Amino acid sequence: MDYQTTGETIKTLLTLAWLLPLLGFAVEIFAGYWQRDRLSKAAAQMAVGCIGLGFLFSSWALMTYVQATGWNERYEHESAHHKELVAAIEEGKPLPGHGHHEEGHGDGHHDDAHHEHEEGHHEEKHHDGEHKAEESEKQTAITPKDAALAQFAIADPIAAEKPDSEHAEHAEHGHEEHGHDHEEDAEAKHEGPAVFSGVYYRLAKFGDLEINIEYYIDTLTLVMFTMVTFIATCIHIFAMGYMSDELTDEYVDHEAHYANGKHVHRPGRFYKFFAFLSLFCFSMLGLVIAGNIFQVFVFWELVGVCSYFLIGFYVERKSASTAANKAFIMNRVGDFGFLIGLMAIWTTFGTFKFAEPDLAHADKPAGLFQMIRTPGGELDVDEEAGVVYLQDGHGGRLKNDEGLPASMPYWLLVVAGLGVFGGCIGKSAQFPLQTWLPDAMEGPTPVSALVHSATMVAAGVYLAGRFYPMFTPEVLLVIAYVGAITLFVAATIAMVVTDLKQVLAYSTISQLGYMMLGLGIFGWAAGLFHLVTHAFFKSLLFLCSGSVIAACHHEQEMPKMGGLIRKLPITGSAMLVGVIAIAGLSVPGVSFGVIGYILLILGLLFALFDIYKRERTKLPLVATLVVVGLMLSYTGLANAKAAFSGFHSKDAIVATALTYFKMNPAHLLLFILPLITAGLTAFYMFRLWFYTFLGKPRDEHLYDHCHESPLVMTGPLVALSVLAAICAVGGEGGKLFVMLSESAPAMTHAVMAGVGSTVSLNLPGHIDVLTNHSSAGNLATIAAVTGTLIAFVIYGLGLINPADIKSSLKGVHSYLSHKWYFDELYDTMFMKPAHIVARFCAAIDKYVFDAFLHWLSRATLWISKWDRLFDEKFVDGLVNLLGAATFRVGGSFRKLQTGQLRQYVMFIAVAVVTLSVVLFVWFPH
Amino acid sequence: MNFEEILNLFIQDTADTSVGLIRPELILCGTILSLLFVRLFSIDRWITPSWVALVGAFVAFGFAANDFMVLKEAGGDTVQEIFTGLLIFDRFTAFFRIFLLLFLVLVVTLTILSGLPDLEDGPDFYTLLFGSTIGMMVMASSNHLLILFLGVEMTSVPSYVMVGFLKGKRVSSEASFKYVVYGAGASGVMLYGISLLAGLLGTGNMSLIAERLQMISSSGEPIVSGTAISVMILMVMVGLAFKLSVFPFHFWCPDAFEGASAEVAGFLSVASKAGAFALLVRFALAFSAGDAGALQPTFLYIGLGVGVIAAITATYGNLAAYMQTNVKRLLAYSTIAHAGYMLMGVASVIVLMNAPGEDTAAATANATQALEGLLYYLAVYLFMNLGAFAVVAFIRNSIFSEEIEDYAGLISVTPILCVCMLICMFSLIGMPPFGGFVGKFMIFASLFEAGNIHWVMWLILVAGGLNTVFSLFYYLKVLKVMFLDPRPAGAPDVDVRWGSLPGFYTMLVTAPVVVLGVLVQGLSSTAQNVASVLFP
Repeated sequence: MDYQTTGETIKTLLTLAWLLPLLGFAVEIFAGYWQRDRLSKAAAQMAVGCIGLGFLFSSWALMTYVQATGWNERYEHESAHHKELVAAIEEGKPLPGHGHHEEGHGDGHHDDAHHEHEEGHHEEKHHDGEHKAEESEKQTAITPKDAALAQFAIADPIAAEKPDSEHAEHAEHGHEEHGHDHEEDAEAKHEGPAVFSGVYYRLAKFGDLEINIEYYIDTLTLVMFTMVTFIATCIHIFAMGYMSDELTDEYVDHEAHYANGKHVHRPGRFYKFFAFLSLFCFSMLGLVIAGNIFQVFVFWELVGVCSYFLIGFYVERKSASTAANKAFIMNRVGDFGFLIGLMAIWTTFGTFKFAEPDLAHADKPAGLFQMIRTPGGELDVDEEAGVVYLQDGHGGRLKNDEGLPASMPYWLLVVAGLGVFGGCIGKSAQFPLQTWLPDAMEGPTPVSALVHSATMVAAGVYLAGRFYPMFTPEVLLVIAYVGAITLFVAATIAMVVTDLKQVLAYSTISQLGYMMLGLGIFGWAAGLFHLVTHAFFKSLLFLCSGSVIAACHHEQEMPKMGGLIRKLPITGSAMLVGVIAIAGLSVPGVSFGVIGYILLILGLLFALFDIYKRERTKLPLVATLVVVGLMLSYTGLANAKAAFSGFHSKDAIVATALTYFKMNPAHLLLFILPLITAGLTAFYMFRLWFYTFLGKPRDEHLYDHCHESPLVMTGPLVALSVLAAICAVGGEGGKLFVMLSESAPAMTHAVMAGVGSTVSLNLPGHIDVLTNHSSAGNLATIAAVTGTLIAFVIYGLGLINPADIKSSLKGVHSYLSHKWYFDELYDTMFMKPAHIVARFCAAIDKYVFDAFLHWLSRATLWISKWDRLFDEKFVDGLVNLLGAATFRVGGSFRKLQTGQLRQYVMFIAVAVVTLSVVLFVWFPH
Repeated sequence: MNFEEILNLFIQDTADTSVGLIRPELILCGTILSLLFVRLFSIDRWITPSWVALVGAFVAFGFAANDFMVLKEAGGDTVQEIFTGLLIFDRFTAFFRIFLLLFLVLVVTLTILSGLPDLEDGPDFYTLLFGSTIGMMVMASSNHLLILFLGVEMTSVPSYVMVGFLKGKRVSSEASFKYVVYGAGASGVMLYGISLLAGLLGTGNMSLIAERLQMISSSGEPIVSGTAISVMILMVMVGLAFKLSVFPFHFWCPDAFEGASAEVAGFLSVASKAGAFALLVRFALAFSAGDAGALQPTFLYIGLGVGVIAAITATYGNLAAYMQTNVKRLLAYSTIAHAGYMLMGVASVIVLMNAPGEDTAAATANATQALEGLLYYLAVYLFMNLGAFAVVAFIRNSIFSEEIEDYAGLISVTPILCVCMLICMFSLIGMPPFGGFVGKFMIFASLFEAGNIHWVMWLILVAGGLNTVFSLFYYLKVLKVMFLDPRPAGAPDVDVRWGSLPGFYTMLVTAPVVVLGVLVQGLSSTAQNVASVLFP
């Protein structure tokens, strides 16, 4: 398949996946509204059907991409190369293929280019034109080898800076672009990753500004689609069980009361819940597929609205409605920045579109990314003037109307970047707007899982990644610091809260901080890698907590739980997988295969034990161990490092951070904080698990009434735990990472330096990161293991009483359990001053304006008194005179109309004669 | 050419051309016949006469609309004299046919809904109604002084009977009688004028009048003075003024309207006026068409005279309406006032056509515009007046009264009728955004234009503006009673709701009043197209 066909297929599939939930929403909300009672599960089935189909279409699209581009081979080769590099670094050999531009700042994908180089295609270099011609003739599928040829065909210094993968893509649609014999062609098409984008529908056109519904599809879009739809499907299914108590005509909300103290009774809102879930999925997918920043903004707000509906689902509870308001308002604060960014972008660029795929047609204006970055991914900065020159997308500078190079002030670009990032701060609950997310746990747990762990808050990180080319080094530094502060603050709070969901909420914030940090320190792929892995394990954790909460009759306080593993074995084990994943534990130097064997042996032992005792109590356990053991030992996983997804992604970030710190020693914090937090993360997550599932039951009543959830809830848990465990297998040589890095903006490979002397940064490249990888990995593992051990000692074994620690560290504890006093701080900083200003305004209103108005009204009264006299005596007299006259005339007319026929006929004669006389008199002679 | 040949030619002309072009009239005649047959053979037991009438009116309307479309698409200024020049067929004729037949359809529907004629009376009533309509259509297409007279009479005679159609009521009979006698007087004067004019000119063909007048006046020593010609024209116009109820020939109007049922009053107030205006325009243009030469000042002064009469009529109508306590009588005076406004339009047409100077093209364009305003006003007037009378008819059916005081607080009982009444009356006042405003604006604009030729027209314009203010009060008096006064306890209910047929009908008739006030372009361009055909 050629580029166009593949693209169209993928686009169609993704569009279907995107729009299905909207259809579901429409049907559910209306059908639900019109249904007779509230007992039908049809809404849920519809929603699951829609999102499930969406998942099928998304994965189909992903498969299409993999097939059509020969991605597997490319991956093999990438992966092999990665291993080679790692091996080389470990042995201290010179790096393969990095001879002649080693000194340049790191640049992740050089190696690929040079790898090709080594495979001996030098001769192709000279067959430039010939190859092009060939390309344009073929218009057929091109194997990776051809891709490599195509790439090499334009192996000039600039092209050599490009990531390999995109060349494969460009080769794919070579027929389209090579067809145009522009000189810049070769350059123009190499500035970004493989993208298929275009316009669905033009909404409006104001001058040059077009407001379109567009799509922008690259591997990031594909991965996000598949991830979001898969997780959403799991959560939908889970929610069918979790929300089933809403299937009633009279739902009693025990946590909401009327003024008279009675519980709130209301009809169940099962259908509404699923309708909003569907709408939410639609919005999130729309955000991911959006092809311009304006469209992103629209869906961004839609996502916000949906989260408002869902957080405030139990609207009768004051806490829920307050939390919904808080989330919405906090997000508005961030969106304010977003809007500023949008305005800055619009005034400067006059377009919202990310990139124009068909630049070969010279009349098409370039997209944002193409305007701001050179094909090499650099900013074209004039340091003296402090301006950035805009690019035309063909390798030259954009000309404005007077034919001069168009430029924008550098600071404006910074403002635009910071503004858009402001939106990300709000949506992804970053410092200082993080306080809404924990409160948002008031929503039903599936909502927390969908909206506040895996997808909505991920939107902020996604946008930061998508909009990456627009960020200057200064903005990136801000992003990094915001992320670092967030991840640390949130982790410390998570250590002391006792509410099950609150812990998860803070851990979410903390992990989002990791992602932002990763993006900020130039680990584009690392940040988004963590986004995807986190989505899996965090939704898993939330669903597990939902299962626990449902089992414990809506008890969320961990100190009341304990020992639940015996009652909730599936939930407990699934959660353990999630906890290990998020804690980033790994067994150094051991592969999954070995673990598999150990599990098999364990299973065998248990089986023997069972046989010895002549009972079958351990049969499910044995079966699970055997199945898992077999899977680990005898599938593709066997050779992979024994670590769950979270380890790999966090490792990537920590390694990047270490490299960054080494290159920029001033930014020590950016390394230290994530490292410490890695330990904290392990601590608080294991604290949660030990608290909940191990030890003695602390509340016997609760424990006795506790029961494992039905299959509809445990099924998704198992599915998610599998993915949480293995989705990142292979780490940075793994499929997921390679897939994501194909979409990495060209700039991540380019040499970058700060401008205007505000910051001067050295940015880490792929090789540099790899060099530091093992040491960073070891440090992080040590931190995690330490955290785990401490948690185990305190909460697992109970050797140290947590209360003792609490009392000895009273100050710190109360500081943390007050969440660093952020709410109080905001109260003092914003609420109180706002109240004071409001009171001041009210006083002015009352004592100045009102007083003036009162005076005015008295004056008016006084004047009107005189006016009335004047009016009555003089004007009215006149008018009455006129009125009386009119009426008299009217009356006399009436007299004329006597009703006497005689007179009427006489009038004809009189009138004719009179008129004739008048004519004679008046007429000109 | 012997007699036979002439006869053959005549038959050929009649059969081949003329008959085909009066299809709508023929269909109406056919309907009248079938109505009579329905009665004769007692078919009315199965088919209600009103439905026969409605179908007939619809078919005739369809043909008329078709004729108009064909003419409009053909373009150009097709003017065809038919029946050896007695009638004329052009866009103007076709337009008025559509206008009158649409109105006929609406009136027939209204009578069906309000149940005016019972089963027994049905054929009689519709025969009269259709006969009168044929007369109006003949008026609109007349091209001969004889036909002018015939048309007026054909319209009037059935009207006399219709006014007295409420046989049991003394008021009704009295009104009818007055109308007959008054009409006879007016016809006498008109016939005198016609005979003088035809005798003087040697022809009754209106397309020749201008030419002959020119001949008479330009041949050295004029045979008759301009004044004498003016008197002749004046006498012809008296007949038309009677139909238009123009001061001082309006005396029949309030009595007749009060005596007649609201449906008939509505019919007379719109249709017979429309026919009369069509005829008046044709007649006025007949003598002032082309270069009038020496008679130009005469015609200019005739135009000014018409304008002054128009201003007096409007003022009289509006002032007299003040003291009325009966809604129908009040609307009768309002009708007089509106005749005055429209007559101002005719006046400005005459004045603009006879502007001194050489620039005939500009004069023609201005006159076209004035006529366009008149046509627009007529079209809006159709809907707003019919709407008002329909509301009166529906309310009468429930409360058996047409006194204003009995309308108190109707808004609480039948909001739909009240709102429609409000729209119609606001439009009659001439408030934006209703159609009445646009029509009045166009006429006043043409008055202003005509004021450039003679300052008297500006005075007339001022009078028109003042009259708009005068008229505000008595319309609002009715509305105030309907909307603001409390409904007295025990007052009868009016059962006209949104969904009911009468309610729907009233909305249907009122809707164009609003639409024509907002979407002006469609009708105004048609009106201009129609008006332009009279100014070759």
